[in-house]
Formats: sequence, structure tokens, C-alpha cells
Amino acid sequence: MKRSPLARLWPNATAVVLFAGFAFPVYWMFCTALKPASDIVAEDPVWFPASATLEHFGTAVRADHFWTLVRNSLTVTVSAVALSLMIALLASFALARLRFRGRHGFLVTFMIAQMAPWEVMVIAIYLLVRDGDMLNSLVPLTLFYMVMVLPFTVLTLRSYIAAVPRELEESAMVDGCTRSQAFTRVIFPLLAPGLMATSLFGFITAWNEFPLVLILNKDAEAQTLPLWLSSFQTNFGDDWGATMAAASLFAVPILLLFLFLQRKAVGGLTSGAVKG
Amino acid sequence: MAVATEHQDPGPAAAGVRRGAAPPSRTAPPAGRSGRGRRGGAAPYLLLLPALAATAALLGWPLVKNGMLSFQNLNMRQLIQHLTEWNGTANYREVLGSADFWRVTGRSVAFTGVNVVLIMVLGTLTGLLLARLGTRMRLLLSTGLVLAWAMPVIAATTVFQWLFAARFGVVNWVLDRLGWHSMADYNWTGGQYSTFFVITVLIVWQSVPFVALNLYAATTTIPRELYEAAALDGAGAWRGFTSVTLPFLRPFLLATVFLEVIWVFKAFPQVFAINEGGPDRLTETLPVYAFIEGVGNQHYGMGAAISLLTIVILLVLTSSYLRIALRKEEDEL
Amino acid sequence: MKRGLIAATGVAAMLVSVAACGSGDGDDKAGADGFKGETLTVWAMDGSTPDGWTKDVKAAFEKKTGATLKLEIQQWNGIQQKVTTALSESDPPDVLEIGNTQTPSYARTGGLAELGDLKKSIGAGWSPSLNKSAVYDGKQYAAPWYAASRVVLYNKKIWAEAGLKGVPKTRSEFFRALDTIRDKTDAEPLYLPGQNWYFFDGLTIGTGADLVKKQGGRWVSNLADAKVAKAMDIYKQYQSFSEAPKNKDEATPQQGEVFAKGRTGAFIGMGWEAAIAVKANPKIEKDIGYFTIPGETADQPEGVFLGGSNLAVAAGSEKQELAKEFLKIALNDTFEGQLAKEGGVIPNKESLQDRLKGNAAAEAAAPAVATGGTTPLIPEWAAVENAPNPVKSYMTAVLKGTSPADAAASVEGELNKRLSQEN
Repeated sequence: MKRSPLARLWPNATAVVLFAGFAFPVYWMFCTALKPASDIVAEDPVWFPASATLEHFGTAVRADHFWTLVRNSLTVTVSAVALSLMIALLASFALARLRFRGRHGFLVTFMIAQMAPWEVMVIAIYLLVRDGDMLNSLVPLTLFYMVMVLPFTVLTLRSYIAAVPRELEESAMVDGCTRSQAFTRVIFPLLAPGLMATSLFGFITAWNEFPLVLILNKDAEAQTLPLWLSSFQTNFGDDWGATMAAASLFAVPILLLFLFLQRKAVGGLTSGAVKG
Repeated sequence: MAVATEHQDPGPAAAGVRRGAAPPSRTAPPAGRSGRGRRGGAAPYLLLLPALAATAALLGWPLVKNGMLSFQNLNMRQLIQHLTEWNGTANYREVLGSADFWRVTGRSVAFTGVNVVLIMVLGTLTGLLLARLGTRMRLLLSTGLVLAWAMPVIAATTVFQWLFAARFGVVNWVLDRLGWHSMADYNWTGGQYSTFFVITVLIVWQSVPFVALNLYAATTTIPRELYEAAALDGAGAWRGFTSVTLPFLRPFLLATVFLEVIWVFKAFPQVFAINEGGPDRLTETLPVYAFIEGVGNQHYGMGAAISLLTIVILLVLTSSYLRIALRKEEDEL
Repeated sequence: MKRGLIAATGVAAMLVSVAACGSGDGDDKAGADGFKGETLTVWAMDGSTPDGWTKDVKAAFEKKTGATLKLEIQQWNGIQQKVTTALSESDPPDVLEIGNTQTPSYARTGGLAELGDLKKSIGAGWSPSLNKSAVYDGKQYAAPWYAASRVVLYNKKIWAEAGLKGVPKTRSEFFRALDTIRDKTDAEPLYLPGQNWYFFDGLTIGTGADLVKKQGGRWVSNLADAKVAKAMDIYKQYQSFSEAPKNKDEATPQQGEVFAKGRTGAFIGMGWEAAIAVKANPKIEKDIGYFTIPGETADQPEGVFLGGSNLAVAAGSEKQELAKEFLKIALNDTFEGQLAKEGGVIPNKESLQDRLKGNAAAEAAAPAVATGGTTPLIPEWAAVENAPNPVKSYMTAVLKGTSPADAAASVEGELNKRLSQEN
């Protein structure tokens, strides 16, 4: 089946336009962050940061407690995601592979748990944490972030596990593995892309959370990066250079993680499909 | 990344989705077919215990607390003095009796509808386009999609405010250059619809990649024979799409719509950061309304009542999907 | 409740002990070692504390008390809930900056310590118009810190073009000047949108009007009052010089940006709004002049809304004495004067206004402080200003031709509803 040049051209042209549309805001963020102030407020936009400067990044990094906040954000995010993966793995295995009374009740519970309006529950959470004398600590933050991503993680991992052929697991057991050995040796390696894919959601949720940390942790030593980023928005008003530099720094870890993990997750998937 | 499809019947569609959503398991027979459900005694409950306990303690308990607050008069003074003042159903009566609440609810539903339709249509088209592209172009487009997808919400809202800034914003400059000169210093946050326009562009931009990449992953698992068979029957590209692709992707699309409805309806930072619900509270959606009434005006009991009503509305909106999901589960047992 | 009671008792005990020491400025009372090792936490809003002032106050405080000062700059984003929740905690910040119109609401919650003794010892010279907001129910709950008010910002070039010399001293002179600009230039004489509500609030202060009145034990709308109508009439006369939309406020679009285009004779705004104009059009900087909004007669400027901040001590703080030491240092004439000079804000004493020399905007604002006022200082008022503010709706209605009485009647229901909301 031969296609005319035109028919070959339009998908590629559309792809280029779409790529530009999706990537431009991200490009513009980095571009603005690197431009000297006079190029930022220019009557005609300066499309490429020819005279790049790290001045705005300097301003952003010099903020009080910056490195403490970086450490806190990393600690909270990584622990929350790791915990939720561990807990979700157990639950999703049960939901995908085992039959038991109340199974779909549990499933619906997790589906509904995704609807929790966390932003407006902050006062209820605050009162519980305050009365438990746990303010200004990273522990409650980690736990709540974990639960924010848990339902999605459980449901998603469940569909990954369900897709692993039962026969693989059974043949391992025929070879003398126990049930849990079969899981760790056979299913778990196959789940790697699934784990990575679901952890992305967790990372981005925990990394971004703002309303809860705002009132739970008023001590600067126990705060996280979203508060720092929001302080740039108000501090500088129209100083888009510093704001964009802060936004860039804030986004970089997640962008890198996505580009890295996404290749593994979807890449593995597509290569499989292409071969098939 | 996968979408949890609560669809376990052994048709090719379901299998495709699960395979699409999963690691390269080309040899996988549909898992649900065997029906050899193992009843493992206490084991399933033990495995579920940590997740359920965590959910109960860290989500259930705050929800109950939130429910209790919704029957209280909890303002600055009560909060500071640690006072508990029950006021019965007064908060609910006031919310349900206020025209604002119903207006905001209607607006939220419309807003969710418009966004979800846009996201699904554009996401599906982009996903199908990915499937048609050559390797290199596909890599290019997926990179763009991943970049948009991975942008943290707070960073993204900041960038969009900058893109749509009245002065020196790129969008206004481009529109001006294209000959629409009245847009030169246009204030996007000055009106209800223009504010919603910016918010919608932002949300669609952030959400399309999820749909597109997953949909593409799912299409890669559609057996080619199905298309060949359809082609033999004389089906063109469009018929091929409606008779093969669409049925195959149905469970995936349903599950994605469910997720997007939840995510868009609950979208808070995007709506709030762009214009704080303004001008004149005209772009408040339910979560923003709950936040402004509860936290902004410091009527925390009222905020709790609105947040619980928000869950009820969300349950109503997604009830048909939940019913389908439940039925499938029952069929399977 | 328990904690509140304990705090209240603590304050009472403190009052006795301080009184026993006599008043005066408290020199060496506590001694340099009395507070050694303690840390005082102070919350100030972003933008309130200029660098030099902060450094000098910290040094003076630490030298005098031996304690450490921890100044924590707060962001505006989410500040209300942050302050409310902080006041409910067992270890709140000791001293907090609180907006003047918000002070009554916080005072009523019992979250702020009473500062009657402090007023006695250092507050004699505080401007009464600024101190009013720090008093609730007859008791002092905060100390006035600084304020800012609206002035007229005008374009000198356009005024010269119209042949105007000097600045108007009375309202009628101002109106004549605006007339001249209209006749002799192609500029818009004044940019005044229909909902510059804080300017209107100033006019009601000028006519002596009250926006609310007490009726049967609760606050209700007083917009139908003749004095309110008179203020609205003055606003209408001003607005007739402007082509600005009658249903928008000064922020949509930013009036500074409109002014920046260089075809506006004047606008009524805060001194810092000049920076918005300069940012949008750097060339306009040399053309911007300021004058006090003129009143009915030359001897008294127009009433203005005084936006400002107070410093309060948290009732739950365990360092009441140290907190007061801090206030005595931060609010003394040296540092208050330094704050005014460095920050360009109006100081809490009229006697310190000479420190504003050289800052044209602040100098223009200062004369109106004595006769300035605020929005009604009742906790219930906060709800009124939530958008859509019914007073703004009233203004738009009158400007579009409704009679003041009808306009007042049309928003009365909404206004009363908001005033009845419990805080």
C-alpha cells in the first residue's frame, strides 16, 4: 500500500506542530530563566537566550534554607513513594490474583478514595496532627502523601499484575518455588516498568503538595520546596526571570525522572509491540 | 503508565488493554479466563491489611473528622480557643440553600465536561497519530508529551501566567503579530471566559499526554489480523477505526474518562493560581469555592460541609462508571 | 478553652507585675541577662521590614535583652489560615504583624495578648487615627506600626501642557484643574474606575459617614445615610472626569499601567503604584508628581483610608515580657523613624513625619493621616469585602444613574447578610 507524499507529510507536520505546542511552555520557562532582565521584558520576545546568564538561578538558590528544603522535599517524596509502592504491591497482588469475599468492595473503596478532596480537608488533618503534637515534622507529611497516591498506585499495579501470565507463575511453582518465591522471582521483575510508571504519579503528587505543608510545618526547617517556589511568585511580582528560574529548578528533578523512567516504561512496552 | 481498568471479561478488548497497560507480555493469555480463583483464607486480607489500615487511618479518619467539623460552627475564634460548637445541620442548610452553591456546581460540571471532552478527543487523536508516525518522529512527539506531562503543577501554572501575561506575554505578542491587534495588551484574567480559556488550555495541555501515551501503548497491542480482516471486508480507514480500534479501546477509554473526570473536577491549583476564582468569583469551581468559603473566609465548618458535598457530587458524576466496574467484577466471580 | 483561660490569666498576672515596676520606657528593668538564651520569634510580612531597619533592630534587641531575635518573613499566600492556626498552637510566634483592619477579628478570638500597659508606657504619641484599629472593645490588643494611604499621582507633563501651575489645595481647585486639562489637552483628565472602593471609603471618612450602624444589637447597612450619599456624590463628580469603566476597580486593568501610557492627567492611588507605571514605561518616571488629595477646604485634606499594620503579641506566647521588650525597641522613635525613611511608609507618630523628607509620595500622604480612618473596625466587616463587594455594586449603580437611595436599598439585603455572618 503506497501513500502519496502528501499523506506521508501531514502526520509528520502535525507531529512537529504538536511537539512545539507541548514543549514550548517548558522551553519558555528555561529560556526566560536564562535571559538577562532586559531580554525578558522586551517589546518583541527574544526567542533564544543568546546572552545567557545564571543570575536568576543565583537569586533563586540564595533563598534562606534552600538546601534544607531540597533535602526535605527529597526525603518526603522518596519515602512516600517507596512506602506506597510497598504497601500497594501487597494489596494489588491480592486484588489481582486472589479471590475472596469482599474483593470488589475493596476495589470500589480504592476507586472512591481517589476522589478525596485533600485541599479542603487540610483543616481536619491539621487539627488531628496538632492534637497529636506532630506539627513541624516530616513524618505526618510523608504518611499523608503516601495515602494521597496509594489508591491510584494500588489500582494501577493491580492491572499490571493481572497482565502477567498466570502460567509463568504456575510453572515456577511446579519447579519447586513457593508462592512468595514465585512472586519475587517471576512476577516482580516483570513488574519493574509498572512500578516505575506508577511511581511517577507518586513523585509528582508528593513533590507538588502545597496546602498541607503550608499549615502543618510553619518552622522553616521543616518546609518543602513548593513553599519556596510560591514565595518567588509573590516576592518578585513581575520578576519573571527569578520566578522562572525557581520554577525550572523545581521542575528539573521531575522532568529528568520522567524522561528516564518513561523511556523504560513505555519504551519497553513499544519495543515489545513492534517485535510482535 | 497504565490505567486501572476494572474490566476482566475475556474479550480481546480487555486483554488488549491489560496488555497495553502492562509490560511486554505478548504471550499472555487473558488472565481472567482461567477462572481458577484461589481462595486463600486469610492471606488476601493480610496482604490488604497495610493498605486498608493506612487508608483508614490517614484518609478515613480525617474524613470522619471533616464530617464532624461540618456539623460545627468552627471559625477563627473556635479554632484558636480549641472550642467545639455543634450547630446541627446549619452549615448544610446554608450551603444547599444558597444560589451560589448551585451556580458553582453547575459551572463545575460544565467545566469538567468541556475539559474532559477536549482531553479525550485531543488525547485520542494524538495517541492515534503516535501510532502512525515513524520511529524518529514518534520519539520527538513523545518527548514533547512527556515534558508537558512531567511539569509540576505549580511550575506549570507559573509558566502559563507568564505566557498569558498582559504585557510581554508571548501569547499576546503572537496574536498581535497575526493581525489581531486588540490583543496586544489583552488582560486574560479580566473576564470570566478568558480566564476559563487560560485554565482550560493549561489543564488540557497537562492532561493530553497521559491519554495520548497510554492510548498509543494500548493500540500497539491490537492484533494486526483484525485490521486485515476488516480490510478484506472492504472497510476503509474510518470503518477500521470504528469497527476495530474503538471497540478494542473501549474499556481503556472508559477508565480514562473516569480518572479524568475525577482529576479535572478536583483540579484546584490550576484554577486557583491563575486568577484565584476571579474576576468577581466567576471562575470558582467547587474545590475553589470550598476553599474560599472554608479557608479563605475562615468558616471552617462550612468548608467541611462543602467538601463533603463535593464528594457526593463526584460520586454522582462517576456513578455509572462505578456501576459498570462493579458489574464486571461480579460477572467474574 | 482551657488554654485560652490560662493565657488570659497569664496576661492579668503580667499586668500586675509590670504595673508594680511602674511605667516608663522600661530601661534596664529586665537587665541584660534576664532573657539570656531565650529566642523571640517575630512574624513580619514580606516587604514590611527593610534590610537596614531589620539589622539595626536585631542588634539593639539582642544587645539589650541578651536574647536572640528570630525574624521570620511570611508570604502573603495563605497567610490568614497560617496565622489563625499558629495562634491555636501551644508554641505560637511571639510577635506578629497583623493588618490593621484585621486586628479586631483577631482580637476578638482571644488569640492576642492585651497590651494596655505597653500603650501607657510608649504609646502616648501614637496617632489616634492609627491606634484606633489596635483597640477592640475598649482594650488595646496591638501596637500601631506603620500605615500608607492614597494620594493623587499626576503627570507633570500633561499639567504643564494644560498650563497648570502648582497643585490644587481644595477639591474645587482640583476639579477646575481637571476641567482645564479636558479643555486644553487631548488627555484623559483623571483615571478613576467606578469601583475604587478604598478611595470612596476615604470620602465617607471625609463626610463623617458611617457605613454600618447598630440596630437591635447587630450591625446593619447604613448606606442609605445622607452622609454616605454625599460622599458618593463627590465620587461621582470625580468619576465624571474619567472614561474608565464604571464596573471595574483600580486593579483591572492596573491603573498604574494605564497611567504609564502617558495620556492620563492623574489618578488616585498608593505611592508605590508609581513603580507599576515606571515598570511599564520607564520614560514616565520623571513626569510623575504627587499631592495630597485636597479636601473641601484648604485647611483640611480629604479623608483617606489608612491601610497599615499593627504589631501584636500572641496570647499563647510564653515570652510576654520579652515580646514587650521587643516592641519597645522596634517602636521607639529611632527605629520607627528609620522604618519610615527606609520603607517610605507613614510612621505611627505624627511627630516622626519629618523623617519622610525626600520621599515625595510619602510626604504627600502624611498630611492626611490625622484625619484618615479605616473601614468599620468590627470583626464582621471582613466578610463584606469579599468579592463581589456589595459596596462596589452600590457605587456602580449610582454611577450608572440609579439614585443613591435606590442603590443603597438594592444592596442592603446582601450587606446585612454578610454583616450577620458569625466570625
